[in-house]
Amino acid sequence: MFRKIHFVVLFLIFLLIIPATALCAGKGIKHLTSITRGSEIGRLGFLSGLFFDENRKRLYVTDTTNKRILAFDVDMKFVSEFKAGGALEAPTFLVRNSKGQFFVAEPTKGSVLFIDIKHRAVKPIDFSAVPQANIIHPGNIAVDSADNLYIVDKANQRILIFDPDLRFHRQVLVKGGRGLSDVKVDSRGNIYILDTIDRSIRVFDSQGSLLLTFGKRDKDKGGFDFPVSLAVHPKGLIFVVDKHKHKVLTFNKKGEFLLDFSELGWREGRLHYPSFICVNKAGRIFIVDRGNSRISVFE
Amino acid sequence: MVMVQRKNCWSFFIFLCVSISSMLMVDLSRAQSTQVSAEKCLKCHPALRQEMASKGAHAPFKNFECSSCHNPHTSNYKYLVKEEIGKLCKSCHKGKKRAFGKKYGHSPFEEGACLKCHKPHSSKNRKLLLAAGEKLCFTCHAKKEILSKKYKHDPVKKGKCLTCHSPHTSDHEGMLKRGLTQVCASCHSIKTKSAQKSHNYYPVQDTKCTSCHNPHASSHSDLIKESSHKPFAERKCTQCHNSVRSRDPLGVKGDGMSVCAACHPSIMEDFRKVNTHVGQGVFCTECHNPHASDQASMIKGKEAKICTDSCHLDTKEHLRDRINKHKHPLVMEGKCSNCHRPHGSNFRLLYRADEISTCADCHKRHVSFTHPIGKDAIDPRSKGEITCITCHNLMGSRHDFALRFDRKKELCIQCHKGY
Repeated sequence: MFRKIHFVVLFLIFLLIIPATALCAGKGIKHLTSITRGSEIGRLGFLSGLFFDENRKRLYVTDTTNKRILAFDVDMKFVSEFKAGGALEAPTFLVRNSKGQFFVAEPTKGSVLFIDIKHRAVKPIDFSAVPQANIIHPGNIAVDSADNLYIVDKANQRILIFDPDLRFHRQVLVKGGRGLSDVKVDSRGNIYILDTIDRSIRVFDSQGSLLLTFGKRDKDKGGFDFPVSLAVHPKGLIFVVDKHKHKVLTFNKKGEFLLDFSELGWREGRLHYPSFICVNKAGRIFIVDRGNSRISVFE
Repeated sequence: MVMVQRKNCWSFFIFLCVSISSMLMVDLSRAQSTQVSAEKCLKCHPALRQEMASKGAHAPFKNFECSSCHNPHTSNYKYLVKEEIGKLCKSCHKGKKRAFGKKYGHSPFEEGACLKCHKPHSSKNRKLLLAAGEKLCFTCHAKKEILSKKYKHDPVKKGKCLTCHSPHTSDHEGMLKRGLTQVCASCHSIKTKSAQKSHNYYPVQDTKCTSCHNPHASSHSDLIKESSHKPFAERKCTQCHNSVRSRDPLGVKGDGMSVCAACHPSIMEDFRKVNTHVGQGVFCTECHNPHASDQASMIKGKEAKICTDSCHLDTKEHLRDRINKHKHPLVMEGKCSNCHRPHGSNFRLLYRADEISTCADCHKRHVSFTHPIGKDAIDPRSKGEITCITCHNLMGSRHDFALRFDRKKELCIQCHKGY
């Protein structure tokens, strides 16, 4: 009799463990939705960059092939399409500052366009004050809470910083930089710079002092194959998109690897040559899933 | 007391003698037993007896220790060896850490394929090698390339590859025994008047000799590589470099790649693309040799090596992984630029064009009768367009035709559910 009770108790405990573990597993990063071609937006071409505007709660996506910027609301419903009156040639990366002004990288022109919809102004940022060895080739761009603009200058392996009045302020030279590909700025003004070829992330403070370097080439967990973009979560987590691993790696503030999510695939929640990532204040993660011509949203 | 001490000493002495004798007996009996079991092996493998007695026999083979390498009953490995060849050899030859533990490894060594160079039982060549001198190296390396050239470097002429190279591992690129300039300087002085004159008096003693010279063979008597950059061929060094009398004679004129763009202005358009390979400084020299080259378009080495050696390391690993044995022929030939634009591209993955057009360049008929592809063929999984690389992984796959999944069923049911 005692043995029977013992067995039943064990069985009940076992039944409880499975749902509990399932719950815990479910608390990881989950795929929410995807933005794919549709009747409103038509075919999506070569997708490049993303930006989530916290003030207006809009997600902006650059569709390079179709020379347009697409806007979506918080529910990922299409709102509008913007072509800057035909001024966009091959828009890649974009940001929007607190005044609602857009900055769009146009690498085929070697410029970053300033677009003020309200005042109907479209013009390239003036690079004449920037010391340059090679002609500037703008890569990813970022904006901080004070509306300073940060531009990856791939041809000179540095980050160019422009003040809110679009005057060249200073540069962050990345010593030993070989393949700078992305820059992000957190709420404290710390600058995160990703080097794809070096497989490293360097974190500088707002004064340009190096705080941290992490990342390494490793095909196993926690290492990089080909990192191409990074994002900084409001809580300090650092997400890095690895294009060739088709995954997103997550690190803490100290650069210690925590976990990775997603994998190579075509179905919802999987990635195929992902190329860009951004995170909003609510912790929602937006990824340009370039190989699948879509935007994947996780949280 | 003295009696007790003497007794103890004698006990210890007797104990020592007995221990030594039993160890010797064990050794002798083991030798006898290996002799005995080797005789059993030789009953079926009689031809080995003569080989065992030969001068160049491997020590365990010579000492009838067959079971030090072979399992006489069963094995997961060919020739009934106990372990994978590389691990097996290193189980004895592990003391040579200085020779084996360096930064770069010769491919057969890294793959544990010792038998690509060595014979396991005996050889008439030193170090149990399969062949002597250059004959062994030429079984894999560039025999045609080297022997077809008119002028050969002296060690190459004499078949003495190991004059410059280490056969197992090396701390230096190209498996050199020492740093490049040290290897060259061990025979050639750059300080002589004629050497200085031939380099236009530029201080080249610390530069890479192989930037201009082919260390093996060339059509040119001074072993300069086959194609020369025009200013180099005409000895007009100051077209790119500062004057030999300047503070930085080896420095280039102008900033960054402007020195290249001065003569190659149309190249700038190649880099005005969405994805490009721009870099810092004179980044053209990351891939191109500004002096002389044995490759087309003056690139520094074979395409695949240039692409994967310093930047696309993960691709190199993927290509080397034996599981990815089915690759596009151009990938196997290392011809990256047939599909990818090395300077820049407005297409995904730096392709020459969109994926279908890139493939259709060669596979013209195939795109007309294949499974639906293109803007009207939608992948139900991703809602994106089906292109060639939806189904094929041209860089390497475990499945035939470099397909991502097995073509018998697994590939089709990715999209066609319910079958």
